[in-house]
Amino acid sequence: MLIELKDVNKTYNNGQPLHVLKGINLDIDRGEFVSIMGASGSGKSTLLNILGILDNYDTGEYYIDGRLIKNLTEKQAADYRNRMIGFIFQSYNLIGFKTAVENVELPLFYQGVARKKRHQMAMEYLDRLGLADWAKHYPNEMSGGQKQRVAIARALITRPQIVLADEPTGALDSKTSVEIMELLQQLNREDKMTIIVVTHESGVANATNKIVHIKDGIIGQIEDNRAHSASVFGTSTIMK
Amino acid sequence: MRLDINTYHEIADSLLRNKSRSLLTGFGIFWGLFMLLVMLGAGDGIKGLLTENFEGFASNAAIIVSSNTSVPYKGFQEGRYWELEYRDMERLKKLIPELDVVTPMISQWGQNAVYNSLSTSANVTGVNADYVAIEAPVMKYGRFLNEVDVERGRKVCVIGKRIYQDLFPDGGDPCGTFIQVGSVFFQIVGVNVSSGMMNINGSTEQKVIIPATIAQQLYNRGESVDILCATAKSGIHMTELETRVRQVLGREHFFDPDDEPAMMFLDTEQIFSLIDTLFRGVDFLILLIGLGTLFAGAVGVSNIMMVTVKERTVEIGIRRAIGATPSDILSQIMLESVSLTLIAGMFGIMFSVMSLSVAEMIVRSSGEFNPAFQISFGLAVAAAALLALLGVVAGLAPALRAMNIKPVDAMRDE
Repeated sequence: MLIELKDVNKTYNNGQPLHVLKGINLDIDRGEFVSIMGASGSGKSTLLNILGILDNYDTGEYYIDGRLIKNLTEKQAADYRNRMIGFIFQSYNLIGFKTAVENVELPLFYQGVARKKRHQMAMEYLDRLGLADWAKHYPNEMSGGQKQRVAIARALITRPQIVLADEPTGALDSKTSVEIMELLQQLNREDKMTIIVVTHESGVANATNKIVHIKDGIIGQIEDNRAHSASVFGTSTIMK
Repeated sequence: MRLDINTYHEIADSLLRNKSRSLLTGFGIFWGLFMLLVMLGAGDGIKGLLTENFEGFASNAAIIVSSNTSVPYKGFQEGRYWELEYRDMERLKKLIPELDVVTPMISQWGQNAVYNSLSTSANVTGVNADYVAIEAPVMKYGRFLNEVDVERGRKVCVIGKRIYQDLFPDGGDPCGTFIQVGSVFFQIVGVNVSSGMMNINGSTEQKVIIPATIAQQLYNRGESVDILCATAKSGIHMTELETRVRQVLGREHFFDPDDEPAMMFLDTEQIFSLIDTLFRGVDFLILLIGLGTLFAGAVGVSNIMMVTVKERTVEIGIRRAIGATPSDILSQIMLESVSLTLIAGMFGIMFSVMSLSVAEMIVRSSGEFNPAFQISFGLAVAAAALLALLGVVAGLAPALRAMNIKPVDAMRDE
């Protein structure tokens, strides 16, 4: 198992204690393409933050590749995030004053990779995603789909074990959304990349092979969706 | 901390992204350092100009002048005038061995010095050869009076700068020529161009200095002397000798040694220490104002960096999410702060050096003075070091705040 969650609990203590995750047990294997679905407030974002080592959990155990992720120092956490996890955000979260290629390079910069090497690698990944011509452009000169593809290149460049996508199509129109999801599917199929998508859109979830439903902080149904027939809105589009 | 060319790009980027803000913030540092260095340089230069005025004047000397008594003493009424006389020199030397040189001065004001058709007003001053211990002459031509001149009562003179300029407008060495002072001809043996502002009994520039023995005879002074000048031996403070001088002279001339107004005792040591204190006060003021302004500038930088960090919360969160360690973020903000301070400060150093050079040129072109306003290289290096330190201090609080930004903050702000 690549990811193992054992009875993970998380409570926020902002005035009134809020028990967000109430004993999450989840296993995700290498090469899986999973979506975590739930309404807002269901705890799916918190779960994503914990999976991405962006946040701590209170009790339970979380293993990545057999390694316990608990009580890490900030430096260790940063290092694990950098080497094991690639992030794709809803709002792309590219750095506005950096060009596409500089944005893609950034994780390698923090790894201490030499300048020439990381530039070359960044260009390779942009090329794979069909953005080689846009390398010198700034994010505000690109369309949403292009920006998200730059973000995907940035997530992939460190060859992470897990790609975490938080509402990756949330800011895109339906046509581009389909393209992005197809891109993620392709990555999963051809590169055997483990991808976890957090979404509340059934169409997005339908593009994945396994759907984990989360509700009120507990995992409900885990749906095998290799047939891609889960969407109530149809199989070929993403309902906006 | 990872330092490569991108680090510098990032710093330049983030400083240039908000040009006017960086400019205004940097101006605070620029102005602070500019003020500090210009004031230090100018302060030193003015101090130099002022001390030039006291150059050559003994810093441990006393000038003794007789005056009216203010209390009755030994049967004499108050208000009596007494006179210093030649023999007081010997008495003082014998009874107060701590004194080094005791020398007389006899002055005759408002005389006319004539050479050919030119004339000018002069103050004739009779001194002994050892007067140089009190006020060192700056001889442009010839020599000062010597002991033989005084002993034999030669009719020779040393003229001051103004007299020389008035009587010899064409310049040249006037030694050997005779000038008429009053009704007597004197042969010039030297020209004293000393232009110090500290003079006894009139400006040195306006003086015709002759042997005291001649002045005595010429102006019918008998044994009386206008002024006695004395220096103390090295290691002895003139101030400590005042009481004993009063006792010796009081016993001889029948005035109360405690009668302050009866005898003027002007102590150059006190004057010099007063000036010293004044300079030290000015130095302190300069440092206070300069460092204060600089510090205010640093506070400005710190403030703006705080705002920058606040603005860039999302960006910093993204960086953290994709693997920047807290120390990466810390050093980034720190480097920005130090760069801004250093660049602004370097301009401050450059402009202050330029301004001081221009000021030096202007003052020098007037011909009167030869000032040294320029700051030393060491001071400039110290200023640069101070800048780096200020940058670190200014960046500390914002950098710590930036360090505490959690990566989840990047996603929260959607």
